[in-house]
Amino acid sequence: MVGNDLVDLQLARSQSNWRRPGYLRKICSEEEQHMIIMAPEPTAMLWLLWSMKESAYKVLNRNTGKREYNPSGLVCSELKVNQSEATGNVSYGDNVIFVKTEISDQRIYSVAAQTVIVFEGLTSYHMHNTSGYMDKFSRARPGYILQKNISGLPVVVELHTGRNLAASVSHHGRYLAVTYSGSLLSTD
Amino acid sequence: MIVELKGILTPYTEQAESLENLSEETDFIKDLQINSANLVDVVLDVEEKFGIEIDNDSMAKMLTVKAAIEIVETKLAESGR
Repeated sequence: MVGNDLVDLQLARSQSNWRRPGYLRKICSEEEQHMIIMAPEPTAMLWLLWSMKESAYKVLNRNTGKREYNPSGLVCSELKVNQSEATGNVSYGDNVIFVKTEISDQRIYSVAAQTVIVFEGLTSYHMHNTSGYMDKFSRARPGYILQKNISGLPVVVELHTGRNLAASVSHHGRYLAVTYSGSLLSTD
Repeated sequence: MIVELKGILTPYTEQAESLENLSEETDFIKDLQINSANLVDVVLDVEEKFGIEIDNDSMAKMLTVKAAIEIVETKLAESGR
């Protein structure tokens, strides 16, 4: 499956006080805590790691159907970070998820998949966070319809083939993003 | 205990109706739509309120009111309270 996660940094500033005692320890490994504290911009590094973990969790959750809240068990590694982009792996037990993240001063956005082929075939579409986003997506992308399947999970229907493409939607604050696979089909 | 939990959850949800009708079945994410980054705050607030420490395995399950109550009761019992 595919996953994405978006953090509106403006909302995150008012919504979360990550410097609260005990906070980092609950969501990060010791190595990740060290990376955050030593980073030139600790807040951006925290939300970068967080969104990598969240997008990877969505992939795992959709593969297994299992719900868990275990952010420190999702471990980021092989991290390569520059000003505008990051790539890395997120491991959970024996699973390894590939993650790519876009970084700006307004938002952090990650996409995740479990195989390189799926990962490289992901398309993301960015929008304002509004309740009519499914219709807006479908109008903006002729030939594709965003809808929810019977389990309530997002699916992008490719009209000319009738395929149900695996998709993920994330929204936070001002922003909403849809990502979908060019090859992987939704299984439910 | 559900009254204390309601107090803890209030600042993290905008779903007034779900909060008003809080029950054991209430789901923190599906019903209260608590942001996942704020679930950590809920866990930390519960730890402070009840003077317990919630380990990662317990935290992993803490997605509903029912699970939270069970975790708090177990931790209190373990500490002899």
